[in-house]
Amino acid sequence: MAVFAASVLVATACGQGGPSASQEPAASASAAASEKPQDGGRVIEATISDIATMQPILVNDTASGRVTGLLYDVLIQVDAKTGEPKPNLATFSVSQDGLTYTFEINAKANWSDGKPVIAQDYLTGVQAVGKSAKTVRKSSYQDVQGFNDYKDGKAQTIEGIKIDSSNPKKFTVTMAKVSCPALLDIANTYRILPTHVFGKYLTATSKPEDIDNAPENTNPQVVDGPFTFSEWRKGDQVILKKNPNYWNGAPHLDEYVYKVVANTAAVTAGLKTGEITFGTIAARDLADMQTVDSVKITKYPSLGYTFIGWDTQSNVAGVALADKRVRQALAYGLDMDAVIKAVVFNEAVAHVAHHVAVQWAYPQDTSALNPYKFDKAKAQSLLTEAGWVKGADGILAKDGKKFTLTISTNSGNTERETLAQVAADQYKQLGIDAKAAPEAFQGLVTKLTSGDKTLDATIIGWSLGSEPDPYQIWHSSQIPDPAKNVTGFGFTYFKDPAMDKAIEEGRNPSNGDCSLAARRKNYDTFNKVLNEQQPYNFGYVPNVLAVSSKTLQNFNPAPFSTVYNVQDWWIKK
Amino acid sequence: MRTFILRRLIYAIPTLIGVSIITFAIVRLSPGDPIRLYTFGARDITNEDIEALRRVYGLDKAMPLQYIDWLSRVVRLDFGQSFIYHKDAGSLILEILPNTLQLAVVSLVLQILIGVPLGVVAALKRGSWVDGLVRVFGVAGHAIPAFWLGLVLIIVFAVQLRLLPSQGMLTVGRDQWDLFDRLKHMLLPAFVLSLTGIANYSRILRTETLDVLGQDFVRTAHAKGLRERTVVFVHALRNALIPVVTALGGILAALVGGALVVETVFSWPGIGRFTFAAAIAKDYPIIQAGTMIASVLLVVSYLLRDIAYAVVDPRIKVR
Repeated sequence: MAVFAASVLVATACGQGGPSASQEPAASASAAASEKPQDGGRVIEATISDIATMQPILVNDTASGRVTGLLYDVLIQVDAKTGEPKPNLATFSVSQDGLTYTFEINAKANWSDGKPVIAQDYLTGVQAVGKSAKTVRKSSYQDVQGFNDYKDGKAQTIEGIKIDSSNPKKFTVTMAKVSCPALLDIANTYRILPTHVFGKYLTATSKPEDIDNAPENTNPQVVDGPFTFSEWRKGDQVILKKNPNYWNGAPHLDEYVYKVVANTAAVTAGLKTGEITFGTIAARDLADMQTVDSVKITKYPSLGYTFIGWDTQSNVAGVALADKRVRQALAYGLDMDAVIKAVVFNEAVAHVAHHVAVQWAYPQDTSALNPYKFDKAKAQSLLTEAGWVKGADGILAKDGKKFTLTISTNSGNTERETLAQVAADQYKQLGIDAKAAPEAFQGLVTKLTSGDKTLDATIIGWSLGSEPDPYQIWHSSQIPDPAKNVTGFGFTYFKDPAMDKAIEEGRNPSNGDCSLAARRKNYDTFNKVLNEQQPYNFGYVPNVLAVSSKTLQNFNPAPFSTVYNVQDWWIKK
Repeated sequence: MRTFILRRLIYAIPTLIGVSIITFAIVRLSPGDPIRLYTFGARDITNEDIEALRRVYGLDKAMPLQYIDWLSRVVRLDFGQSFIYHKDAGSLILEILPNTLQLAVVSLVLQILIGVPLGVVAALKRGSWVDGLVRVFGVAGHAIPAFWLGLVLIIVFAVQLRLLPSQGMLTVGRDQWDLFDRLKHMLLPAFVLSLTGIANYSRILRTETLDVLGQDFVRTAHAKGLRERTVVFVHALRNALIPVVTALGGILAALVGGALVVETVFSWPGIGRFTFAAAIAKDYPIIQAGTMIASVLLVVSYLLRDIAYAVVDPRIKVR
């Protein structure tokens, strides 16, 4: 799952990647051993954005993903620290040919109204996606046999999903082709839905609006997660109550409140006064927060990075940026340590490839990657080698054309605006006529994805997900082409046959081997090409700064999930 | 009176249509495609999927046709489905609007209760230190930025003194009808929101009262031997209030529209933040519904002003 990280703006993006609300016994056992958890109490999580829906198939933003994830449990979760898939609501196995997945739902798993969670409920979830007109993730099931026929109304059943006739909790999903992201696509992206609630919207005669506008989408009363829904006060808060019948052990907390505040300043104020139990703060507020006795600060690397993307076909700087040596010079010529200090107060780590260190797909042998340590002399010699020589005015030029570079970013995001300014200043010292240009996020996104070539360089961020498949960002098929009406995230216009092949093999291996080891090999190649070619200056991976009240116990957020052990949280009175 | 109101309401129709056309054009011509924004989180989304979504939201048609579609639904009070919330935009606005209205009304009351007496006292004690103080406040009230004052008040009263909450409308877990708790949350934001108004009213009232006090009929009243209090409150103040009524016109709409900064500083779940977020996400139906409802509020508050005129000033007749 790869998504634009969208600053503080509401609903502009941020991945779902569904926080998985499930247990990690090993992590909680040691902490709980010293003290006996007390039942009761309430957690108030601060959020900048309100939720949009509680219908899993319509979720398309971080906030809705969080709340929906606490209400509806997920079949397969990923390890909160490593991102590796592991059983949750169901156990799974894969057939030899890699085409058929068998799932068996936990015998104890019940809906909050007492009815058992069964395989039919999985089918209901998939059918809901097929029927919906407003979901944006039909492609999650595109490789499931018969899904496309069902989606297009050509079939009334989904051929590839078979429920075991002797065990209503067991089912198989058969794929049309081997696809490594399939496991998380079919068992982690969406939640299963109670058939006795949503089944009536999914009959042969149902219209898409029936499921898209179902009243249960904003008032879900039958759920299978650690919490149940109580109330949604729009723009203000969502109130969840503990699910005493949660299959994986009832939470200690009585209530989980998801509280909407206006900005990070309100988060810090609320943490100080105790109006908020936990939230994430901006790096600039860290020093202030460290003086507060009543809170605990947890730092961990975020699952994403902030980068400068070079448009190698830009109308202005494209000539220069198309040259690998120039891009490498731009990597050597930017003092990333100084940047990180200036922009995020040292709360980040320099980054030189696509996958981030916490992902299993990140190269294990990091010596294969060039760290591009700041080296101005090297940058200058690379530029000279590429034919860019300083003119009388001190500006680099080649064939009578000056090297001008406009670095765009979304306005209002102070971190990125500072980064653009600092980068422009440093590139000026190399003799590049560089300037920073903030611009509204909405316009920026349309330009990037539609193949408009007016941007030289753009600072944005990627939020990565549990599934490391980089196809959508880096495969050559994703390069926008207005002539063919193709849009996509390949806004650097960079392509490389070896990289394409590595991406394809990591996604749909010709030998059917989806083991992490086999896929990792392909991603090693992929990251090496990117590291060498520098279509982005890969920028940095910022730290997430989670601040929680000291009364909140067992709160151990990790890159892949904050709430994975939510049923172990408790409030010390 | 009834024909007057009716005629004013009929006049409002072309105004509202004009507003709707302008908003419609601006939101659609500004850069950025709502479906692209909306499909960000989507993996492997195809162009066909995007086009299908465009059709679902009616964005595939030419702009004039989209407008006609919209208008024909709005006259039936259907503002269309929000792109983000998948719910009727009008009902979403109406759900949030009361949050801002309560803040606006309290702030309006504060403006009048504090602003009017300040102005009158300053006029009566002209040249005294009280007058000086009110006049300084009249300038400072305009000059102090609301966001700055809000943050300072939060630091002092919420973070340092712990007397008042720093944010929101209610303490989490409290009943919606816990009015005392709500009032505690409202105090700081309503004060900040009313500051400019207080400064305004104190200034207007001071000038007007001074003006009226110098007029013949006041002198006559004094000459008749009426008590000072009667002269000021019965004769002078009633006349001095006329410009206040003028300023009241549109103030409710202005308060609702101008609450964005205060709502943001105090995390008040109001209409300003709600529509601002919708504008950022290019949620057309909510932007349209928000603008239309604000315009209706403005028209209604101007109408109320004109009626109030007739009550305060007997020389003015509504026809």
